Amino acid sequence: MQKSRPYFLDLTAIRLPIGGWVSILHRLTGAGLSLAVPILVYVWMLSLRSEADHATVRAWLDSGFGSLLKLAVLWGLLHHLFAGLRHLLLDLGWGKEKTCARKTAWTAMGAGVAAAVLLGVVL
Amino acid sequence: MRRVGGAHRGLDMWLLQRAGALVMAGYLPLFAVYAWVAGAADYAAWRALFSPLPAKVGTLLFIAALLGHAWIGMREIFIDYVHCARCLIVRLALLFGLAVGYLGCLVWAADILWSLA
Repeated sequence: MQKSRPYFLDLTAIRLPIGGWVSILHRLTGAGLSLAVPILVYVWMLSLRSEADHATVRAWLDSGFGSLLKLAVLWGLLHHLFAGLRHLLLDLGWGKEKTCARKTAWTAMGAGVAAAVLLGVVL
Repeated sequence: MRRVGGAHRGLDMWLLQRAGALVMAGYLPLFAVYAWVAGAADYAAWRALFSPLPAKVGTLLFIAALLGHAWIGMREIFIDYVHCARCLIVRLALLFGLAVGYLGCLVWAADILWSLA
């Protein structure tokens, strides 16, 4: 194997196509969600443990900072879900043609944002 | 000799991760509809959602699928980015630590679910 492979990581010069953005955001949201698991389990535990803890969580989720974090987690989860479904379809050989792939990439991106805003209002 | 690090068990991991993804993609809409129909407006209703045995079992399976999916994903990220001459041991330590932490989360989730009436 070649020992030193070409290396280019100038983030200001790299121009990703939309599929690249969906993909790297899929990885970033996945990593973020993975690291957030213990925190999410903790919040879930509080919401179920007692009436008082449930009220605390509710109030915190409705506060300014809390609702921002709530939106971030929701968007991360939903972007990961939609981008993941798109990747599953690509794995099955569906939608690989360039214009189609770009359309589904924009769709996954938009669906994540839209669903996060909708659910953020409901929850 | 069997190689312990790197992407040498890629295909089974790849398949398992997608199986976990499908479990979650099935559970989440189902649970959303269930919560929507049953209602979860206050503490009592929210607790009652997780009380029936099928809800407990389904939720624990979802969490198990999530933890496995997340572990395989983090493994992929470590394989991609944790690279240096002596990084195998670092990567193995990260994977081991994460696995222990996630197993803890699974037991914790079971305790949360089964402490409900």
